[in-house]
Amino acid sequence: MSVLPLAASRPAARLSQSASAQKAADTPALRALPKVRRRQRGLMVGVLTLLIAALAAVLATNIYVANAQYEVVQLTNEHRDLAHQNQALAQQVQFLESPQALSNSAVTIGMVMPATAGTFDLSTGEIVSSAERASSSEVPSSFVSTPTAAQPDLAAVEVADPAASAVSGLLGTGALHTLRQPTAGDNGAGTAAGVPRSETGLHGGTIPAPDLTN
Amino acid sequence: MARTLSLRMRIGLAIVLALLVVLGGRLFHIQGLDPAGHAHQAVSNRLHTVELPAARGDILDTQGRLLAGSADRYDIVADPRLAGDYTVPDPDLGMQRPVTVEQTAEELAALLDAEPADVLDRLTAEDTHYSTIARNVTPEVHQRVMELRAPGVYSEPVSERTYPSGPVAGSIIGFVGSDGPLEGLESQADDALSGAPGERIYEVGADGVRIPTATYEEIPAEDGQDVRLTIDQDIQWFAQEAIAEKTNEYNAQWGNATVVDLREGREGEILAMADSETVDPSDPAATDELFRRPLALTQDFEPGSGGKSVTFAAALEEGVVGPETEFRVPYRMTVNGETIRNARSHADYDMTTAGIYARSYNTGTLMIGDRMEEQTRYDYLRKVGYGEPIDIGLGVEGQSILRPPEEWDRRQPLTTQFGQGYTGSVLHNVQLYQMLAQDGVKHPLRIVDAHLDPDGQEHPVTTDPERIFSSDTSQEMLKLMEGVVEYGSAMGAKIEGYRVGGKSGTAEAAGAAGGFDGYTVNFIGVAPLDDPQFVVSITVHRPVGEFGDWDLTNTFRDIMTHALTSYDVAPSEAESGAYDGFVGQRQDYPW
Repeated sequence: MSVLPLAASRPAARLSQSASAQKAADTPALRALPKVRRRQRGLMVGVLTLLIAALAAVLATNIYVANAQYEVVQLTNEHRDLAHQNQALAQQVQFLESPQALSNSAVTIGMVMPATAGTFDLSTGEIVSSAERASSSEVPSSFVSTPTAAQPDLAAVEVADPAASAVSGLLGTGALHTLRQPTAGDNGAGTAAGVPRSETGLHGGTIPAPDLTN
Repeated sequence: MARTLSLRMRIGLAIVLALLVVLGGRLFHIQGLDPAGHAHQAVSNRLHTVELPAARGDILDTQGRLLAGSADRYDIVADPRLAGDYTVPDPDLGMQRPVTVEQTAEELAALLDAEPADVLDRLTAEDTHYSTIARNVTPEVHQRVMELRAPGVYSEPVSERTYPSGPVAGSIIGFVGSDGPLEGLESQADDALSGAPGERIYEVGADGVRIPTATYEEIPAEDGQDVRLTIDQDIQWFAQEAIAEKTNEYNAQWGNATVVDLREGREGEILAMADSETVDPSDPAATDELFRRPLALTQDFEPGSGGKSVTFAAALEEGVVGPETEFRVPYRMTVNGETIRNARSHADYDMTTAGIYARSYNTGTLMIGDRMEEQTRYDYLRKVGYGEPIDIGLGVEGQSILRPPEEWDRRQPLTTQFGQGYTGSVLHNVQLYQMLAQDGVKHPLRIVDAHLDPDGQEHPVTTDPERIFSSDTSQEMLKLMEGVVEYGSAMGAKIEGYRVGGKSGTAEAAGAAGGFDGYTVNFIGVAPLDDPQFVVSITVHRPVGEFGDWDLTNTFRDIMTHALTSYDVAPSEAESGAYDGFVGQRQDYPW
């Protein structure tokens, strides 16, 4: 932007241009300009501050969102690991609850098939049929095989280990502790609770690269 | 500053402006018009779509115990274009350590329990960017594979079916192959079980991390319905053990034990449909093809003496005989040139209708059946269900062959009266005794109790009952059946404290080469007769031995006792209602 001398815009000055050009040009120009500059400087400082503040805010939000994203991924992984552990334990229970498995367990602790049960008629107080003594040779047959898929899953999670290393046994706070901090190495649970998946994957950084693609 | 720009400056400014216009135009061309689709391509490069599989519904037993469920598993896949040698940082050495693709293959093979050479082949397969290394690995193994951080090795989440009770009810549940359900309920109820898969769409940066502020869409999956069966897992297992033991004892081809509920509100529900050998749905290939589907539906055979019940019920219903009508029953008789004999030679006996039924004499049955027209007898056979397939909602129909009277040969008018010359499945026979035990009303047999939405909403499966026989006929038939157990052909079926009735049967089994070369033995019983609660049917096909060697009543007694005690049916001191079998005082005539 080019600033014309004030004198040039005045018709009166134009008329006496040749006579007193220097006198007319000097006085008003010098007084007006510094005022304008001072005002502009303040404005520019303000705008710059605002800009920097806005940038800093955007940066801070961005960093926060990015960090929160890592946290979300980590919590998602933790949730998935725990869900898997829960699933494996539930399966273990289901396999152990199957009739064949129950029958086998019963036989191993020495149980036999029941003989005739005794019955009373409560309204008359009579014995309807008397009970017989069960024979120790009446062991249930085992033609129906136990589920084949049971074996690998039974090995996957050993519920006794985390329970034993818990703070105070299976009940009370110990159970909670076990749930929150699973023993490392069991069913991938060691990756939970904020522990990095693998130190080698950091490439010098402090935040592990999460893989959501799984 | 000069008042006007010099010529040089003007030219320079014009050039800069011209260049700016060109660049601006180009920018608009690329970004705005995008004729080559770069922007779109960039987005689609960043966009990742992951299918969110819908959880397949569970199959439950009548008490809600899990028979088939789903578990999270992973398929380990490789992109051979990306697989190769790589380096990992070694904490001991403090530097990068090279890993060759062969070493990767070995490590993978150790984790996946596979052959290293095989894994290497898949890792280095040419002309493909997708080769499956292992299927359905557990989350634990998957975790260890991912910790290798081998390039080009990925995983895909899949859902695997688990069958916690293995072969218990295996043939009913069916199984799932790698391409989808193959047999049983898994196949029949597939639409209800599978639900609709969802989708997750998000953008990923070059380093594989999701871009937090970019597109993120999630269409949730709609989970499948659970299917609750009428099967009681415990009784099913007990019946499977019992029938396997019996089949093993007689070295038979197959055996079946079926238990049907008669309790109020649950009429016609199949509590157990046990085969002598049952497929484990987790490993169907290990079982002979015969046992992969329920035998109670797939096998049809001549019902034998059990079929006499139709003749007797029809005769009572038509009023041509009463339960104590007297007959003089010979060992052998000839009708229209065809000679019919009883199982064992005996003198002529003066017997009642009940006695003929209890001793299961063919000749006596003919004397009763001949009081009705051929067509009438045929109509009753059709009414109770023979001659048409039986469907219990399992996708497999039980077959029954019964020709109309005009197509019968010379012998069939006689043999159809005592359960030969036509065939039916186990469930055809069980359906007959269900209606005889329940006031003459047919409650169609069924195996699916209800469909359950993921939110717990129930959709019960119902059937329409239909009256076939009168209440009187039903009552008389139960008394005839009681005679069979009390003094007739199945005295081993007695259970102390309960009134038990039933009918045994032995029919010749047709061989593959024509003619008869074996037997099908069965017994169907009902208890307690004062208020029938259960029907139990035992069938053994082609037992080894001679006619008369086989007795199924102890198996019946074990299963019936188990059902009665499991469901808290109290014993009663009710008096027997059986009629005398012989005319006069003496009842103990030799067989």
